[in-house]
Amino acid sequence: MSVSTAAAAAPDRATDVGVIDSDVHPNFEAGIRDLIPYMTDTWRQRMGFGQEGWETSFAASAFHLPLNYLHVNTAGAFRKDAAFEGKPPASDARHTARDLFDRHDISRGLLIAGQMFGIGAMPQAEVAATLASAYNEWMDERWLQVDDRYRGALIIAPQDPDLAVAEIERMAGRDAIAAIFMPLHEILWGEKHYHPIFEAAQRHELPVVTHPSGTESIFARAPKMAGTPTFYIEWHAGLAQIHYSNVLSMLCHGTFERFPGLKVVIAEGGFTWLAELMWKLDRDWQSLRDEVPWIKRPPSEYILDHVWCTTQPFVEPHKKEHVAQVLDMVCADRNLIFSSDYPHWDFDDPQRALAAIDPALRRRIMVEAPLEVYGDRIR
Amino acid sequence: MSRHVIDRAEEIPPGTRRVVDLDGRSIGVFNVEGTFYALRNRCPHHGAPLCEGPVSGTMLPSDPDEYRFSTAREHQIIRCPWHGYEFRLDDGRGLVKPETSRVKAYRVEVEAGDVVVYTR
Ligand code: FES
Repeated sequence: MSVSTAAAAAPDRATDVGVIDSDVHPNFEAGIRDLIPYMTDTWRQRMGFGQEGWETSFAASAFHLPLNYLHVNTAGAFRKDAAFEGKPPASDARHTARDLFDRHDISRGLLIAGQMFGIGAMPQAEVAATLASAYNEWMDERWLQVDDRYRGALIIAPQDPDLAVAEIERMAGRDAIAAIFMPLHEILWGEKHYHPIFEAAQRHELPVVTHPSGTESIFARAPKMAGTPTFYIEWHAGLAQIHYSNVLSMLCHGTFERFPGLKVVIAEGGFTWLAELMWKLDRDWQSLRDEVPWIKRPPSEYILDHVWCTTQPFVEPHKKEHVAQVLDMVCADRNLIFSSDYPHWDFDDPQRALAAIDPALRRRIMVEAPLEVYGDRIR
Repeated sequence: MSRHVIDRAEEIPPGTRRVVDLDGRSIGVFNVEGTFYALRNRCPHHGAPLCEGPVSGTMLPSDPDEYRFSTAREHQIIRCPWHGYEFRLDDGRGLVKPETSRVKAYRVEVEAGDVVVYTR
C-alpha cells in the first residue's frame, strides 16, 4: 500500500482548523519533581520535596504519582523516536510541536494529564488537588504559552468536588483551556458525588475528558476492574471495562437529564462497546424503565448527544470490511473523534490509522466532530 | 364490522378479565374500575400471551431521583408476562416507542347490560 502524503482530512473552511488530536500527553522530565516550582513552600514540605540526594527516591519520604508500577510494558510505554536531546518523549513543547503537529499534519492537540492520570487514587484529596493546580500552572507556562496549536485539559482532583470546582473556576478562563480532565476514581460517574463538577463543566461549556488512570485495580481507591490483571497486556486490553461502567452509571442516574449541556469524552477507552451498551440498554429500558423513570428517551440517544470516544488505538478487525460495519454500528459520525495518544507506544498516525475509512467520515472524525465538541475554544 | 357479545357486564366485575376467542383470534377483555378495554392477546414483541400479564398504573417520566406512580385512567397499562413491556389499555400503544410498538385494541361497549366487542 502506498502512503498518501496528502493531508488526512481537509481543514474546516470557516476556521482553517485541520486535524484535531484529542489525546496528547505532555511529560515531565523528572516526574512529580517538575511541579515543585508551582507549589507553596508549605506544600513542598508536606509532599516531602525538601530533601536532597538519596532520600528523594525512597518511598515514604516523598510523594510519587500513582501509576501502573506493577505491570511492565516490555515494548516500552513510549515512542522511543519521540525522545529529544536525551530528554523523555514529549517533555519539550517545541520539539513536540514539530514532531507531532508539523510531521503528522495535525492542527490542534489537546494536552491530557502528562503522568497525572492516577491522582484519583490518592487517599488525601488535598494532596491530589495541590498537584492538580501545580500541573495546570506547569502546563500553561511550559506548553500552552509556547505554541498556539496546543490546547489544555485542566486537571482536577475527583476525590473532592469542592476542591475540583474551585480549580475549574480558577483555570476555566485561561487562554487555550478547552476541556476538563477528570481522572478516574473509585466512585462511578453517575453518582451524586460528581454533580458539582458536572454543573461547573456545563456552566463553563467545557467537555469533561477522561482516560485510563494507570492505577486500575492496583490501588485501593483507584477505579476497579473485575479483579487485578496479572499482565500488562491483560490490563491494557481490558481498559474499556471502567468506561463501560461509567457511561452506564451516568445513563441510569439520569446525569444527562440533570445536566443537559454536559459533554463527556472518553480518551483511549475503546469504542466498539458503545454498540453493545446502546442495544442492551435500549432493550432493557423497555422492560425496566419504572426503576429509572428519569430516562425519558431511548438511552442510546443520550449517548449520541453527550458522549464521544477517541479513536486510538484504532480497531484492526480480522476482516477489513468489518471496520466500516462497526463504525456504522456505533454511529461513528456522532460519537467518534480522532486521537493519536502521542507519545505513547500505541500511537496512531492520522495518515495511516484511519486510512481505510470513507473520506467524508474521516473528516467528520478528525475535524468536524471535535470542532463541535470543543467549540470556540479549539478554533 | 362484527359484533360479539362476551357476557353480561356483572359477570366481568371490576378488576377481572376474560380471554375469549373471537373469529379465531385470542382477545382479552378487561374491566378496570368499571371501564372496559379489549386487546389482542399477542405481544408485538415476541408474541407472548399479553393479556395474561398484570394490569396496573404506571411510573411516569420524572426528574432524576424522583418517582411518580400514577393510577389515573389514562395511565392504566398491561405489562407483558414475558419481557415486561408496557402497553396502554385504551389504545394498545407501547409506553416506549408508541409509534412502532402497538397491540391491536378493540372497541368495547356495554349495550343493554351486555359487554360487546367489535372486531374489524
Ligand atoms: S413478548 Fe412481550 S415483551 Fe417480549
